[in-house]
Amino acid sequence: MSSPAASVASSTSRKPGGFRSLDIGRYTLLIVLLLIVVVTAIGNPRFLSVNNLMNILFQVSALGIVASGQTILLIAGGLDLSVGAALSVAGLATALTIMSTGSVTLGILAGVAAGVVVGAINGMLVATNRATPFIITLGTMTFLQGVAILMSGGSPINGTGALFNVFGLGDFLGVPWPVYAMFASILAMFVILRFTTLGRYAFAIGGNEEAARLSGIPVRRIKIALYALSGLFVGVAGVILTGILDSGLPSMGTGYELRAIAAVVIGGTPLIGGRGTVLGTLGGVLLLGLVSNSMNLLGVGANFQSAVLGLIITAAVLLQKKA
Amino acid sequence: MNSATPLAIQVQSVTKSFLGQRALDDIDFEVARGEVHGLVGKNGAGKSTFMKILSGAQPPDSGQIIVGGKAFKALNPAEGRAAGIAIVYQNPELHLDLTVAANIFLGAEPRKALGIIDEKAMSRQAAELLARLGLDLPVDKRLGDFDIADRQQVAIAKAVREKAHVLLLDEPTAALNKAQAEFLFNLIRDLAKQGMAIVYVSHHLDEVLEISDRITVLRNGRKVAVVEGRSADKDGLISMIVGRTLDAVETHRSVAARTDPYLVVDAVSSEDGLADVSLTVGKGEIVGLTGLIGGGANALAAVIGGLDHRNLSGAMTLGGKPYAPRAVREAIARGVLFIPEDMRGRGLVMSLSIAKNISLAALKSLAKLGWLNLPKETGVATEMSERLDLNPRAPSREVRFLSGGNQRKALLGRAIFADGELFVLEEPTQGVDVESQRQIHDHLRSLAAKGATVVFVSTDLEELIALADRILVLRGGRIEQTLSPEGLDPQQLLAAIQTQSTRSLN
Repeated sequence: MSSPAASVASSTSRKPGGFRSLDIGRYTLLIVLLLIVVVTAIGNPRFLSVNNLMNILFQVSALGIVASGQTILLIAGGLDLSVGAALSVAGLATALTIMSTGSVTLGILAGVAAGVVVGAINGMLVATNRATPFIITLGTMTFLQGVAILMSGGSPINGTGALFNVFGLGDFLGVPWPVYAMFASILAMFVILRFTTLGRYAFAIGGNEEAARLSGIPVRRIKIALYALSGLFVGVAGVILTGILDSGLPSMGTGYELRAIAAVVIGGTPLIGGRGTVLGTLGGVLLLGLVSNSMNLLGVGANFQSAVLGLIITAAVLLQKKA
Repeated sequence: MNSATPLAIQVQSVTKSFLGQRALDDIDFEVARGEVHGLVGKNGAGKSTFMKILSGAQPPDSGQIIVGGKAFKALNPAEGRAAGIAIVYQNPELHLDLTVAANIFLGAEPRKALGIIDEKAMSRQAAELLARLGLDLPVDKRLGDFDIADRQQVAIAKAVREKAHVLLLDEPTAALNKAQAEFLFNLIRDLAKQGMAIVYVSHHLDEVLEISDRITVLRNGRKVAVVEGRSADKDGLISMIVGRTLDAVETHRSVAARTDPYLVVDAVSSEDGLADVSLTVGKGEIVGLTGLIGGGANALAAVIGGLDHRNLSGAMTLGGKPYAPRAVREAIARGVLFIPEDMRGRGLVMSLSIAKNISLAALKSLAKLGWLNLPKETGVATEMSERLDLNPRAPSREVRFLSGGNQRKALLGRAIFADGELFVLEEPTQGVDVESQRQIHDHLRSLAAKGATVVFVSTDLEELIALADRILVLRGGRIEQTLSPEGLDPQQLLAAIQTQSTRSLN
């Protein structure tokens, strides 16, 4: 008995956590990914060009950053529906600060700070109320949408100078800067989840909040920290998207909340929390990017695309229940 | 019972196993119309499994249930209801936001044209029904505004409305005061007179003796006796419940004198029912707390473990210093580790590995500036697995794949790794196999031998005698009796637990 048990221990202890939970749901995702690639490549050879693949990564970069942050919330049994509206607020804070001070550095700080503050407020509301995160952040989402419109006065805040030169136009070794930012976010979240007490507490709270409390974990404080952390990612995404667009718009984050949560769920993190990986989330983000890109190349209309996206999200959730 | 009285329900050779362990072994059981039938037995004797089979919540492996002239291999809850079986738990499953009348008629509301609920007719019929049962409750008030005793009455009224002819009552008096219990008994007698068959499950033997026409005794999943309520007495019942104890329960007390007080509880009262409890536990001592449900053993454990800290009066000291934890983590910081009975709900994080569960309460000792030392964690978990003989010896395995005994060991490992000085456990070996039980007892003894202090709550008589240096019987939130397990017989212990409670009816 002892020898097979020991070999299990040694073989799994070196494996990175990201690959451990390969199960039915995850394979389905990979198969769908491959099918999309094959079908589109046959329909349009341009699809597999380096240019197009880079284009896809560029397009999903802000989404990938937001989804990285959302991953740890879902693992902890939480959820933040306000990330899209918070993204707009962070972007507008960046654009407005650059416009009034002329300083890109201050603009970046303002955007990131806006994300963190909004996240921390969400965290406090969630940690101290019995209402579900879904309802609480639905409320803050609506509030922040209003704030974004007030901030912008209803029209775009244009001109971000150096920010646009870096994130909108710049690249390094042929890869646009926002793509680096996305992979850096994924890596950062991977490290947090696997190597820090904060990450471990997120798993414990999502898996069994009462057991976490009885183990002496300061559950409220950790929840606030997790929402603030997710807010940090949202703030970064807001800054980058502002650079990409060379402007701040009150609608720039619209729909990001659903796509981010969809990417996390497609990536195998269950909505009830307790498990999940950010590498799965990366897969989910890429899947969403590939689908909309392939539909563009195949000439599918925008309305139909939205329906397909909805089907994918629904299928991901249903598959997960089985797995 | 007159043998000519028709049977309301008959159970023939029902057997049920869980994971190869016999929970019920070839049980025959019958209740006549108009009979009140008591069902008694220790924890784990099979009472709750039997009730679940009767109510259709679980199917038996073999045997049959004959009710309403039909024989069933297994009932589902709907069939059970249709056949006229109703079950009322100590905390009835009702809808607190609906009115009394709406609860009674839920799913069978009187209707007007177009399917609209006829509220007036419903209220009138509910009021008539309650009056017929001698109950006086305003039918149009929200059920949540009533206490448990009233809710129970509503649940019983609902059963009558559903024309149930077999009523299962599970620990019905656990949350009632004396007057409420008295009232319930009169209601039960009235219902029996009208021909209803009643199965009454309780640990309160005095009550069972008072109310029952016949009493069935279960032990280790077998029916050991059916006795007439009139002719039975408590001592006789106790010896049947416990069984003949040919071998004295093994005890392994260490001989070290334990004069050094470690935990001192001084006149503590709590909202959860503790009434002026004082207690001194020596360093290295193992103290067992027991009593009937609601007696205060669990409430005391919750106070010591730092779970219940609101509106306490009195004081505690730990290792000579004041001890007043305002959160579980403050208790843990003082080396007090609480291990709950409900492993799945409150103890383990099922989605995490053995190693991550073991390290959870002392994760900071494995981290520097929030950065985890994973190899060290694996090493610690491996060491702990060996020390506790955890099977499988695979720290990365998720705990949900472990057996109950190994899950309990993993929880104990968490407490040990968190540098526990005082272990507070609820039912430390409930639901585990004999071998794991022995191992867990050994681990707790060796911890005590090394100077740790153990306070555990248990309703397992043999466990109390085998493990504790001292057994405290709590009743009504007070420590009513202190027993030495030396030479103590399980029957004597059960008798002590069953001693006339302050709420007793005689």
